[in-house]
Amino acid sequence: MVGIFSRHRSLALLAGVVLAQVLLLAFQIKRDHDVRLIRYWAVALTTPAQRGGTWTFSKIGGVWTGYIGLHNARKENEQLRSELDRLQLRNRELETEAAEAQRLRLLLNFRDGHSEAPMIAAQVIGASADPASHTLFINRGEHDHVRRNMGVITPDGVAGKIVEVFPSTSQVLLINDKDSGVGALFADTRTHGVVKGSSDPDPHMDYVVNDEKVSAGETILTSGEDRIFPKGLLIGTVSAAAPATPFQLIHVKPAARLDRLEDVLVLLSQQELTPKEAGESSIVPISGPLSALPAVQPSAASQPFESAPPKNVTGAKPTSTQAGPTKPAVSPAREQTSSPVPSSSPR
Amino acid sequence: MNYTINIGAHSEGNVEVHKYYSGTVVLTSFFALVLQAFLHKYGRWSELVDLPLLVTIYFGVSRRNPVSGLFLGAVIGILQDALGHDSPIGMYGIAKTFVGYVASSVGARIDTEHPVSRFGLIFILFHFHQAVLTLTARYLLNQPGAFFTPRLFIDSLVTAGFGVAVFSLLDRLRRPS
Repeated sequence: MVGIFSRHRSLALLAGVVLAQVLLLAFQIKRDHDVRLIRYWAVALTTPAQRGGTWTFSKIGGVWTGYIGLHNARKENEQLRSELDRLQLRNRELETEAAEAQRLRLLLNFRDGHSEAPMIAAQVIGASADPASHTLFINRGEHDHVRRNMGVITPDGVAGKIVEVFPSTSQVLLINDKDSGVGALFADTRTHGVVKGSSDPDPHMDYVVNDEKVSAGETILTSGEDRIFPKGLLIGTVSAAAPATPFQLIHVKPAARLDRLEDVLVLLSQQELTPKEAGESSIVPISGPLSALPAVQPSAASQPFESAPPKNVTGAKPTSTQAGPTKPAVSPAREQTSSPVPSSSPR
Repeated sequence: MNYTINIGAHSEGNVEVHKYYSGTVVLTSFFALVLQAFLHKYGRWSELVDLPLLVTIYFGVSRRNPVSGLFLGAVIGILQDALGHDSPIGMYGIAKTFVGYVASSVGARIDTEHPVSRFGLIFILFHFHQAVLTLTARYLLNQPGAFFTPRLFIDSLVTAGFGVAVFSLLDRLRRPS
């Protein structure tokens, strides 16, 4: 460079002097919009450079964000996906725990609301392998003073009864099992019958004569005649009723969600439950003339069934306000032959 | 004092470089500028002759040094611009820079002592000077300008003829060899 300059010194000086004067001119001359030519040139010179720089940086930035940064984005994406999976799992756990807490809260409120009746909470830990059998296993057994033929309820309504007791677990026969039977009555008409399981998913109410007017939506309560459930517990509602031979065919929609039981209460006695809070839908107070019927003695009912079986009340018939065929007694429980109105037939 | 320089492959012989008494170049240039401005007051006929251009050509040719020639042209041109009132500084400066450079370069290659060659050289450099002025005006000032007009032709002839006479006078300012 220096060699070229020294070899063409005069030419380089000429260029330099002329350039200096051109700049001097440009500094004085004003073009359109009163802009000095030197500024015009400066902008014209720098704008392409700035544009080129902007383009270069944008391309470099694009390469960085589109390719180099993509590596981090992919890694970050994997981390986020992993975090999302973990959080979704955690969310499901929390939802499950919240639902469980809600159920337990309901159970606790229910139990606290009926402290006069001894009961223990139990958790459903299994079900029968036979699809035709509607039974459950709970995590309470003989060690928890659970005995056969104890009632199993939920805050929503009656669920079933204990049919087998093991040291730490028990088997529950649900009310929709075909071998189950619960002494029942209509809340309004006080007509008695037996809620039994059937081949249908929902149980039927048997032994209601055809003359009895039954309409859909009627509430069905326990009658207490089976010596298992205290009187007045909600069983369910009538979903459909039709005349049949020799008794009406009444479909019952259980109040308890029998297909989704997770936590239940085991009634340690047949002590009647009285509603103490508004909204206790599973306990309907007996009203009307039938409320004057003799109830099970609390002293006897408060004892565990197997340790203190109820007195024989053989001959007790379901009360019916309508004339009709004689209703058979509810079939006795297989292990409680002394019970006059057992809740279910032997399994 | 005379001495010779090697001017390269374009010239086979030796070219004489003239020296002047100190201050001659400065005073002559100053005088030419003042006289040009002074005469300008007395009519447009003074525009027929460009005295600063003649001085630039003369000393460029005589000293045969492109560097000193371009600087002399630049200085004279800028001063001429400064004395004017309607042209930005640098217009004549650029033109006379080129003229000084070309004159000194040409003077190193051809004989510029003969009146005919001086006339031709002044005539050509006048139009070269005008061409640079026009280019500068067109592309820098965005002003129209003509490269050649009959008036310019007359001016060039007058300037060239007057320049031959002026050059003879200026030759007397040389140091004796």
